[in-house]
Amino acid sequence: MKFFNYEPIITKEQIKNTSGKKKKGERAQNWTYTLKRIFDFVAEQKMLLFIVLLLVVLSSAFALIGPFIIGRMIDQFIDGSSLSQLSYWLYVLAVVYLLYSLSSYFQNYWMVGIAQQTVFRIRTQLYGHFFKLPLRFFDKRKHGELMSRATNDIETISSTLNSAFIQVVSSILTLTGTVAVMLWLSPLLTLITMLIVPLMFYGMRWITKRTSLLFKQQQAAIGEMNGLIEESITGQHVVKAFSQETEMLRQFDEKNSRIRTVGFWALTYSGFIPKVMNTLNSLSFAIVALAGGIFAYYGHISIGTIIIFTEYARQFTRPLNDLANQFNTVLSALAGAERVFLIMDEKEDEIDGENVELLGNVRFQNVSFQYDTQASSPTLSNVSFEVKSGQSVALIGQTGAGKTTIMQLLTGLYEKTDGKIVFDDMEIEEISKASLRSQMAFVLQDPFLFEMSIKENIRYGKLDATDEEIYEAAKKANAHTFIDKLPDKYDTILSADGSQISQGQKQLLSIARAFVADPKILLLDEATSSIDTVTELHIQEALEKLMEDRTSFIIAHRLNTIRKVDYVIVLNQGKIIEQGKRQDLIESQGVFGQMLNV
Amino acid sequence: MKTIFQFIRRYKWPAAIAFFLMLLELASDLIQPLFMARMINEGLLEENLHNVAFWGGCLFALALFSFISGVLNSFFSAHVAHSFGFDLRKALYSKIQSLTMATYLTFPTSGLITRLTSDVTQTMNIVFMMLRIAMKAPLMTIGSLIMAFVINAKLALILCVSFPFLLIFLVWMVSVGIKLFAQVQQRLDFVNRQLQEGLQAVRLIKAYMRGQYEESRFLSVAENLKFDTIKATRVMEIALPVLQFVMNISLLIVIWVGADAIRDNDILAGDLAAIINYAFRMTASFSIFSFIIIAYARAKASAERIEEILNVEEGLEEVQKNKAPVLENFSIRFDNVSFRYPTTEQYTLQNLSFSIESGEKIAIMGATGSGKSTILQLVEHFYEPNSGEIFINDQNIKDIPLQQLRKSISYVPQQSLLFSGTIVDNLRWGQNDASLAQIIDATKKAQIHHSIESFDEQYETTIGQRGINLSGGQKQRLAIARALLKPASLLILDDSTSALDVATEQKLWEALDQEAITMLVVTQKIQTAQTADRILLIDEGRLHGFGTHEQLMATNDLYAKIVASQQEVLA
Repeated sequence: MKFFNYEPIITKEQIKNTSGKKKKGERAQNWTYTLKRIFDFVAEQKMLLFIVLLLVVLSSAFALIGPFIIGRMIDQFIDGSSLSQLSYWLYVLAVVYLLYSLSSYFQNYWMVGIAQQTVFRIRTQLYGHFFKLPLRFFDKRKHGELMSRATNDIETISSTLNSAFIQVVSSILTLTGTVAVMLWLSPLLTLITMLIVPLMFYGMRWITKRTSLLFKQQQAAIGEMNGLIEESITGQHVVKAFSQETEMLRQFDEKNSRIRTVGFWALTYSGFIPKVMNTLNSLSFAIVALAGGIFAYYGHISIGTIIIFTEYARQFTRPLNDLANQFNTVLSALAGAERVFLIMDEKEDEIDGENVELLGNVRFQNVSFQYDTQASSPTLSNVSFEVKSGQSVALIGQTGAGKTTIMQLLTGLYEKTDGKIVFDDMEIEEISKASLRSQMAFVLQDPFLFEMSIKENIRYGKLDATDEEIYEAAKKANAHTFIDKLPDKYDTILSADGSQISQGQKQLLSIARAFVADPKILLLDEATSSIDTVTELHIQEALEKLMEDRTSFIIAHRLNTIRKVDYVIVLNQGKIIEQGKRQDLIESQGVFGQMLNV
Repeated sequence: MKTIFQFIRRYKWPAAIAFFLMLLELASDLIQPLFMARMINEGLLEENLHNVAFWGGCLFALALFSFISGVLNSFFSAHVAHSFGFDLRKALYSKIQSLTMATYLTFPTSGLITRLTSDVTQTMNIVFMMLRIAMKAPLMTIGSLIMAFVINAKLALILCVSFPFLLIFLVWMVSVGIKLFAQVQQRLDFVNRQLQEGLQAVRLIKAYMRGQYEESRFLSVAENLKFDTIKATRVMEIALPVLQFVMNISLLIVIWVGADAIRDNDILAGDLAAIINYAFRMTASFSIFSFIIIAYARAKASAERIEEILNVEEGLEEVQKNKAPVLENFSIRFDNVSFRYPTTEQYTLQNLSFSIESGEKIAIMGATGSGKSTILQLVEHFYEPNSGEIFINDQNIKDIPLQQLRKSISYVPQQSLLFSGTIVDNLRWGQNDASLAQIIDATKKAQIHHSIESFDEQYETTIGQRGINLSGGQKQRLAIARALLKPASLLILDDSTSALDVATEQKLWEALDQEAITMLVVTQKIQTAQTADRILLIDEGRLHGFGTHEQLMATNDLYAKIVASQQEVLA
């Protein structure tokens, strides 16, 4: 039976850092800053929030009136004075209680609406932001880890917002009201009760220094696990083919253990809060009763007052208790929120530029590009070529020679590191990405399709395409035949694993998508690599028609695919080693000419 | 909830201790008002300071006692809750790993992800609550009630007259809540799915500038989650105001009756004060009740979802490493095999029969969608054929231990899927303990060694999810190297050279020609097919031809058509 073999996660240095002298201002700013940002989202519903606030004031007032009246009644019993007014007061109380229940219900009713609307806005903004980020951002990150930010991290905000605002406000109100009454009843006793407040404060600080750190680590650990799960589950067939199940389980165990250890400490420390508060609560109770007893003995205060006072003393410590707990809960929400805002603060892709209508002329001038990981061998170096509108260009070369990279640079999916890319007579930086890409169709190597109907998938190329345009495009891409054979035909919803159609069929749909888009510049990256050559022949004609009068770039390894291109560019290790009109190159029997002879 | 309880049972001792500690805490909280009453009655009213101090001291001691048991309870409860969560996640993930591909396809991956994260968290919460505060509410209520009875039975009775109704009300709330929260979790599934899809397709989405469109598609999914969460929470929040109101009215009645009793000297003022006090505590503990109700409903909904997976009994396969050696030979015979994927109606393969000798190199060709990849997946025993039999080395594939079969097959899928990690990590999937020399041998054959050497960190280079910063051809070659590293008797290449240029591909085949193992190569290229011993031609899931290149050229019109389509047309 393993007990408490949880390694202490945080070191003394880490705790010191959270309140280090130099960083104090910074850290305080950090969590208040995050809190403010959350409230910026909430502020959209100012009016409703104000109503909630009013209701909280009301319900807090009602909460105080009840015991107050009862306290008075008890006094009357003890003094033996007339109880004729009793039934009157009981009716009053009944009404108070009714109003209390109503107001507390509705404050929650509307608060939930506000909280969830806020969460909804944050979530959708985060999602939208993903697509504004440059592709580089995604290259090194796991999908699951990013997903965690939109789910697990936002969940912490959701559960906190539902109740934290109300709790905090009502606690503050109750506290103020209670203290006011206590002061009115007996300033001296009030002072004695307050003695424990510094103790509470100190206790809280000790605890929250640790929990704030732990909450952040917990969210990070969950994100890590999410990343692993998503990757292994989507790659399940490869895991099985290589019998890597036990290895996956081992990796999972690591992440899982981390969650357990961090979570254990976070929960444990969080659990101290009500204990500390409770104890100090009882302590104050005892002290007040004792002090009160002494005063009563010396005739300073009536017994009834003491009894009422102790009741208020308890009412005093309860909101403090609640505030402490809420503060801790808010810290856990902030841990999640920080992770969300980190993504939202990531720099967006450049979006400025003019909207231009492209004619289709493209020029590369000494363009170079490299990923930072492969610094010594740039993916592209000093590439220069010129393509006139309507020309079709084949990009030939070994794998990894830089062909896809050229296409990615053309669409601005990646930024070149050197040189100029010119469309007509404007440099790529001057043109808005939206304008550029809406006039291009990029048929990617990986024909990604969505879990939508085939019709909608094809429509992705042109959102306002009519059904007829879609059928036309499918026919041209030679996809219509197989679609027609499916039981739901064009309305067939493609499943996530894509098991209904083959890889080649996916490529056909991907090509249909390009047909529908009717672009100025067409980019075909291995668009037919998984298609059998007979089918390819059928599409060939359509593709050639598509390429007519349209600037096209094609990457293909099957030389047959590029039989009718105007221009050929041969790449090797990121450099152009040969380029020219197809006919010329064949005749000169250079690299390209030799390839054809094989 | 049965399965879930099994998981908690493992920690029954720490749980019991935590529970016991909570009882101690509770007891001290309950005794407080008693001491207080004594303080009033025996101290203040009797003007006996001694007693006041004595009872005051007792209260203080009680407070410390409560503190210590509370802190210890915190440790134990956290331990139980998180160990429980850990075990649950592990069991879920192991279960998922042991599903056959067929079963696995019936569960959307986003649903699995939500279960492993959100659903487990919800169940963990209730476990934690149970040990920390959940019991407080009923115990506090009952305890206060008992104390009240001790003081004055008649008044106490009034307090609890409404309880049966409240109980029924709560039970009803829970059953409603379970349904509502199950719906919320399902919406979370959809959110996860949309997220996953969006992230996978980010290149496409950016290339077509569909960012805003995607955001609007996401809106409806997120909005559904919002509405259902609001609905569930609003309904559940009816509980507390109702409970409190009923309790408060009961209290008013108590005061009414109590006032009379004081007048008739049936009861002391201090006693009434104490009863009122206990009534307040009961009302306070009701807020915990409503808390628990909501958490319980959420947990139950999540627990049922989790059990859906955990209780899967069929459609599982062995995951443990099998000690049986790699099959020495690999001959394949399909006997009238028909198959369709579980998620579709159409048959992908129909009445397929053929026989392959061990050591043969077979090219599989056919039109797009004719069923070529499916044949390979059946050989890997990812699925069971709907009819017909498959024999490996004359043994029915069903009789061969799954792990041994998979150990003997090296598979390069059509879509080269690589995992986050270094290049060497990925390659080692072929053989966990391969030496660097063996690895380099494989990468050389796969024609990728030089490319790797040109990277900054060479074999230690980290590649992103799905091998993101490599070119298509590099990914394919890595996947091939991974497969070559595996000491198998069957090599499957599912059109895995589509991104390779002619020169590289030729060198690859030359290297592979040296291997003596059986090979199944799905290809589109006649050149590749020509190097094979025989060619299996599939058309719409049926066998169209099976023979050497020369034989097919002579007898098979479809084959001739394919060859013709690949003649160089150099106008």
